[in-house]
Amino acid sequence: MATPAPAAIECRNLWQVFGPDAESQLSAAMEQAGGDPDVAAGNLKEKGYIPAVRDANFEVMPGELFVIMGLSGSGKSTLIRCISHLLGATSGEIRIEGEDIVSASKKRLIELRRKKLGMVFQHFGLFPHMSVADNVGFPLKVQGVSRKERRQRAMEVISLVGLEGREDAFPRELSGGQRQRVGIARSLAVNPDIWFLDEPFSALDPLIRRQLQDEFLNIQATLKKSIVFITHDITEALKLADRIAIMRDGKIVQIGTPAEIVLNPADDYVREFSRDVAKGQHACVDSVMRPLDQKPDNMPDDPGLRPGMTLDAALAACMQCYEPVPVHDENGVLTGIVHPADLVAALQVETK
Amino acid sequence: MSIAEPAPVTAPWVGRLTPGTRAALITLIAGAVTLLLAPYLPWITIWPDAWTLPATQWVDTGLGLVLNLIKPAARWFSWLMEFPMTWANFALVSTPWPLVIGVVTALGWYLGGASMAALGFLGLIFVLASGYWVESMNTLALVAVSVPLAVLTGGAIGILANEVPRVKSAVQAVLDIMQTVPTFAYLTPLLLLFGFGPVVGLIASAIYAAPPMARNVILGLERVEPEIKEAAMMSGGNRLQQLFLVEIPTARLQIMVGVNQCLMAALSMVIIAAVIGGFNDIGWEVLLTMRKAQFGQALLAGLVIVVFAVVIDRMSATLATDRRRFDARVTYGILGATVIVTALSLGFLPDPATLTLLDPVADSVDSSLGDFTAANGAALNTIKNGAMFYGLLPLRIGLDEAVLPFTWGFSWTPAMSAGLFAAAALIGAVMALRGNVVGGLVVLIGAGILETGVAQMPWPFVLIAVAALGWVASGWRLAVISVLLLSTILISGLWERALLSLYLSGAAVFACAVVGGAIGLLCAVSPLAWKIMRPISDMLQTIPLFVFLIPVLMFFQIGEFSAFLAICAYAIVPMIRYTRHGLVTTPDELIEAATSSGATEWQIMRDVRAPYAAPTILLGLNQTILYAFAMLVIAALIGTTGLGQSIYLALGQADVGLGVSSGAAMAILALVADRLVQGFAEERRKALGL
Ligand SMILES: Nc1ncnc2c1ncn2[C@@H]1O[C@H](COP(=O)(O)OP(=O)(O)OP(=O)(O)O)[C@@H](O)[C@H]1O
Ligand SMILES: [Mg+2]
Repeated sequence: MATPAPAAIECRNLWQVFGPDAESQLSAAMEQAGGDPDVAAGNLKEKGYIPAVRDANFEVMPGELFVIMGLSGSGKSTLIRCISHLLGATSGEIRIEGEDIVSASKKRLIELRRKKLGMVFQHFGLFPHMSVADNVGFPLKVQGVSRKERRQRAMEVISLVGLEGREDAFPRELSGGQRQRVGIARSLAVNPDIWFLDEPFSALDPLIRRQLQDEFLNIQATLKKSIVFITHDITEALKLADRIAIMRDGKIVQIGTPAEIVLNPADDYVREFSRDVAKGQHACVDSVMRPLDQKPDNMPDDPGLRPGMTLDAALAACMQCYEPVPVHDENGVLTGIVHPADLVAALQVETK
Repeated sequence: MSIAEPAPVTAPWVGRLTPGTRAALITLIAGAVTLLLAPYLPWITIWPDAWTLPATQWVDTGLGLVLNLIKPAARWFSWLMEFPMTWANFALVSTPWPLVIGVVTALGWYLGGASMAALGFLGLIFVLASGYWVESMNTLALVAVSVPLAVLTGGAIGILANEVPRVKSAVQAVLDIMQTVPTFAYLTPLLLLFGFGPVVGLIASAIYAAPPMARNVILGLERVEPEIKEAAMMSGGNRLQQLFLVEIPTARLQIMVGVNQCLMAALSMVIIAAVIGGFNDIGWEVLLTMRKAQFGQALLAGLVIVVFAVVIDRMSATLATDRRRFDARVTYGILGATVIVTALSLGFLPDPATLTLLDPVADSVDSSLGDFTAANGAALNTIKNGAMFYGLLPLRIGLDEAVLPFTWGFSWTPAMSAGLFAAAALIGAVMALRGNVVGGLVVLIGAGILETGVAQMPWPFVLIAVAALGWVASGWRLAVISVLLLSTILISGLWERALLSLYLSGAAVFACAVVGGAIGLLCAVSPLAWKIMRPISDMLQTIPLFVFLIPVLMFFQIGEFSAFLAICAYAIVPMIRYTRHGLVTTPDELIEAATSSGATEWQIMRDVRAPYAAPTILLGLNQTILYAFAMLVIAALIGTTGLGQSIYLALGQADVGLGVSSGAAMAILALVADRLVQGFAEERRKALGL
């Protein structure tokens, strides 16, 4: 399928291998393995190298919230650091809005970071010697923006993240949740188009985390940025994501919408992740909907299903139905049919 | 089968020995063989002159050439440095003293509140009252110029090492070596380069003070959290912005630790450099009064140095903490009051040089010291002679020569030697049978060393023993490097002196290990003991090396014993600190596990705390060794033999070859000892899984 605008981020055959002289080792291993990345990664591992990201392929669309998920050590941070070029990728292509950044000059990289990219860190990465306002204004300072303008813009983002009144505090005087708000504000100071967040909420306790997630969604609803968000928490991923990529040992094992991940896990690893998730709350009717050409002649019941309804709600509505039922969209147009048996089957994936 | 099996290369039982046992065994055999052969082959004990390479002369001519080449540049630099020095000197000496005192007090308040202000005020009042105001200001002027120099060069080196990873390990190696080269050894070539005068002291102290700065800058920058560095990068800063706006400010506490150490090193060196003379500073005053045996005055001048050291150290140490802000109005208030007082009193200020308020104290110290030594001279002599004849001398030249009718009441006979070895063999055998084979062998080796004396150990034995130690501590590489390094001392003809140095520092380190270890243990079990020892340790570590000489001289005159005491006083502190720290910081769950298994307090100490603390204690020992070597050279001023004395002599004769090669030999000894002990510490740490 052809997209008119270039993807916000595009990665092709991206590798990051840790170890001395990784580049030539990787190409040798690839040659030896006949181009099979899994075999090559195995070879590299045997030699003591760490293939932290192997053969990653994906793209993030403009305005999309793309979540990368995986266990600790699966290479999530490494992947995001490759894309933001904090680490030079060992091999592969990375394009940001169509522009190849692997071969970008130092100067161009600085420019990209000043204008296009923002990043939030797991442990906040705040500058301990600067006040909140100075931290937030730092990305502007390095561009030579005047003090007054800096302060003004800093105050805007500080109020966006709800920290008004604390702008002159120092990081050590703030709570964890407040610190991460500063981190978020700082990454937004230059109004970047592309926003990286590396486990931004992991260091926080569950209540604060939920609150920040909600605020994050609100911010995103108004700003509409292209986002790469890392987490190892499936509930967080399902709550936030447009699409989720699941990583294991450096490999992306599945990319899909939350419903796809929950309902059609690609393998046991992915299934393990979504085991404890109440699937009915995350998957929607459209994931089990059959096309109209399978419509039986006669549908006696109409419990009023919509494509966007969660499976739980649909199942509750279909308690008394045994025959296929119709699905109508908001305008009442018939868009598909659902077998109640499919509903039940979908919700029982985990128990098999 | 008719074909014989190929015989194993080594006897089967050798394979079962631990590396430690094997090394000890080899050493023992080497010792026994050399001991037996020594009477027949004199070259085993004394390296023949015919085999000696004239390395000292080579160094002399080689360095001479180089020094002469850069001499014009050095002289020019020297000329350039005269300016800031004269200015600093002029500023400090001609500023009315109330102003200086007021500014220091205000600075004290700004840095650390009332306690620091009081420290600064009282300290300087003491200096004023002592009558050494002018001398002190001269010293301070040197420090004031050398420290910025050292901070800048050290900082630049640190940043360079941080920015160019390829040079980092090289820089760190150079810093390591610079730390082990004795301070006096710098002075001789500097003298040649810059000519007599205070500039030599200035440069020497800048050279000496730059490494701690560089080290701390490297460490601080290394320890900046990666996320903070990345955040600076993602904010779009270029490298300079990242470095100066984020990384250096984030590392500022560590860097300030560097500034503090830099200040202390500079002060220490400026005072040591007084031996060159020609500059009316406080170190010179100590030296002069010491030479004239005016110990009261020497002590007074020494106390002035201590006051400076304490004030500078404590004030600059506050920079390295996240300090509280103190009310700025008080700072301005103090400054204002100072200006007013100074202005009002300008006409009637007494000349500080004429102040002799404390002279009566000094005189009474002198006279009471005289009385004391007159009354207790016999006792002091007994202590001194006892330690010399029954401790140091046998260690140095061996029981076979030290035991004389004149001191011990009898002479050492071959039968006694046999008895000594038999006793050692018995103890060793018992230890070996109880499972401690290495310990048993070491006892035997120790008996051999005691018999011959450290200064007369045959060189093949020393080399083999060091190789064996190196091998056990960390492997072949260390063994080979140690032997190669020591061989350079051997063939350059400095071996005898090196052994003398080894003997004295070894004796001091041994004493420090035993006494310091015991004090450390005491401090670990008794908080009260630590409460008392802690300020004493702090003080001992703040006092510039030089000052240690005064009290020992007062009581024991010039000689090896005084040197020994001075070395011990300085080198004991790390042993105390590390021992206590190691014993105290055993993880709680280990203690709880032991307690719940019913172990007594003492059993916990022996079986849990001590093994766990072993690596830390070894590091303390390592520091003690380095401290002892550093002090050894200073102690040459009051009578030691060996390399320290050579360095000191070379300074007097401007003999660059001798000075530098002796300095290098000292550094080699220190370096080898350092690596050996570090190797053992590392090995223990690994064994504990730390
Ligand atoms: N600079 C490095 N040098 C060598 N190995 C590295 C480096 N950085 C990461 N690794 C290794 O790469 C692998 C992936 O690490 P990464 O930090 O990307 O994991 P992660 O998925 O972000 O884990 P977490 O959830 O714990 O943050 C790990 O095995 C890690 O040890
Ligand atoms: Mg991570």
